[in-house]
Amino acid sequence: MDRLKIERVGGVAGFGGPHLKSRGELALSDLSPADQKTVESLFADPKKVPASHPGQADAFSYRITRGSQTIEVPEHAVPSTIKSSVKDVLE
Amino acid sequence: MPCSCFIIPNDVLTKLSQDKKLSASVRKRMVDTVQISHELRELRNQAARFTSVAATRADGLVTLAAAPSVTVYDCKHTQTLPGTPIPKPKTSSDGSVKRSFNQTSKVAKFYEQVFNRNSIDDHGMTMMSSVHFGQSYNNAMWNGSQMLYGDGDGSIFVDFTRGNDVIGHELTHGVTQHSLQLAYSGDAGGLNESISDCFGSMFRQWEANQNVKKADWLIGRDIMGPGSKKKGFTCLRDMADPAAKHCLAPQPTKYSQITPGMDPHYSSGPPNLAFCTACVTLGGNSWGPIGQVWYRSLTGFGPTPNMTMKAFAARTRQVAHTMYPSTAAVSAAVNAGWTKVGL
Repeated sequence: MDRLKIERVGGVAGFGGPHLKSRGELALSDLSPADQKTVESLFADPKKVPASHPGQADAFSYRITRGSQTIEVPEHAVPSTIKSSVKDVLE
Repeated sequence: MPCSCFIIPNDVLTKLSQDKKLSASVRKRMVDTVQISHELRELRNQAARFTSVAATRADGLVTLAAAPSVTVYDCKHTQTLPGTPIPKPKTSSDGSVKRSFNQTSKVAKFYEQVFNRNSIDDHGMTMMSSVHFGQSYNNAMWNGSQMLYGDGDGSIFVDFTRGNDVIGHELTHGVTQHSLQLAYSGDAGGLNESISDCFGSMFRQWEANQNVKKADWLIGRDIMGPGSKKKGFTCLRDMADPAAKHCLAPQPTKYSQITPGMDPHYSSGPPNLAFCTACVTLGGNSWGPIGQVWYRSLTGFGPTPNMTMKAFAARTRQVAHTMYPSTAAVSAAVNAGWTKVGL
């Protein structure tokens, strides 16, 4: 029921453009209880994510969609199970 | 043990050193202490004079500072930074370690020789890189204090340290952080990315001693993997033709085509084209007058985090006129660049 659709965007190559995509999908229940809690708190208030280091550039961020809600969070705030769920492809 | 107590005033020590009731060895230590005390006071006075001179002439000292240290760490396919330090990266048998060390050292030399800049912060900051970041990680980035490089997945991308323009691009994000301090969204974000592409490409051309006609103006050509090449993608971006089909990340060519919320790696297309056009219009080397104008516009005015592309274009026009008042061709070339993209 609670499925997460994930898209990784950004990076020096500009993932998320017309040709370069990085996508994944998993069920919330696939995550550990701690990671589920992290996801719940991200969706509850995505702006609460600790800010990236000033001056940081070319980092990835993740668009995570659950139901009708989509949030975009920096890579450092994303659980590793979600990070490793995406696959980079050319389109 | 010789007496080294300086709390006792010198005149007391001198008087004690002449007191015949004390043994000869104690009296000698008193004399020695007086002498040491005197020398120490002289040293303190010299240090105070040096500090005063250094404080008033600090800017001059910066250019005299030694070349920045270049350090490399191995993340061993984890995402834990910085990883394990590599003691002798210059002679490492690991290609990623050796390349990141050599190319980072050359970027330092490029900034020093061409722009008289001492490292990322212009104060000799250590240039730190971590290689083998993550598993088949398709990215390189500047995290605000160091560079990190992934190995690529071997299909879309190969090892990101293979691109000297990529290394120049990442280090330039550090230079931007220590100068204009551009934000990473909107116009400023596109400018931030463009400046890294401009100096990354300039570095690549400088290293190959290529003039603007000979340069290919491609970004990321050397990190394209077999899967990308098979589909006809020869680069990430083409500064001379941002919308070209051979670009994995084709960009807009006109400022008016930039849309709100656009990724800065796409909105950097128009300023990239403006820089390339200015260079090609003037001819010679990209790190010549046009590169100097871009560098002065980046570093010569203090932070402007939310600078618009229009404001940056105006600044380069003004700087071109100020730096090269008797060479109208420089101003004309800068103007031709921005005009081409609608700014």
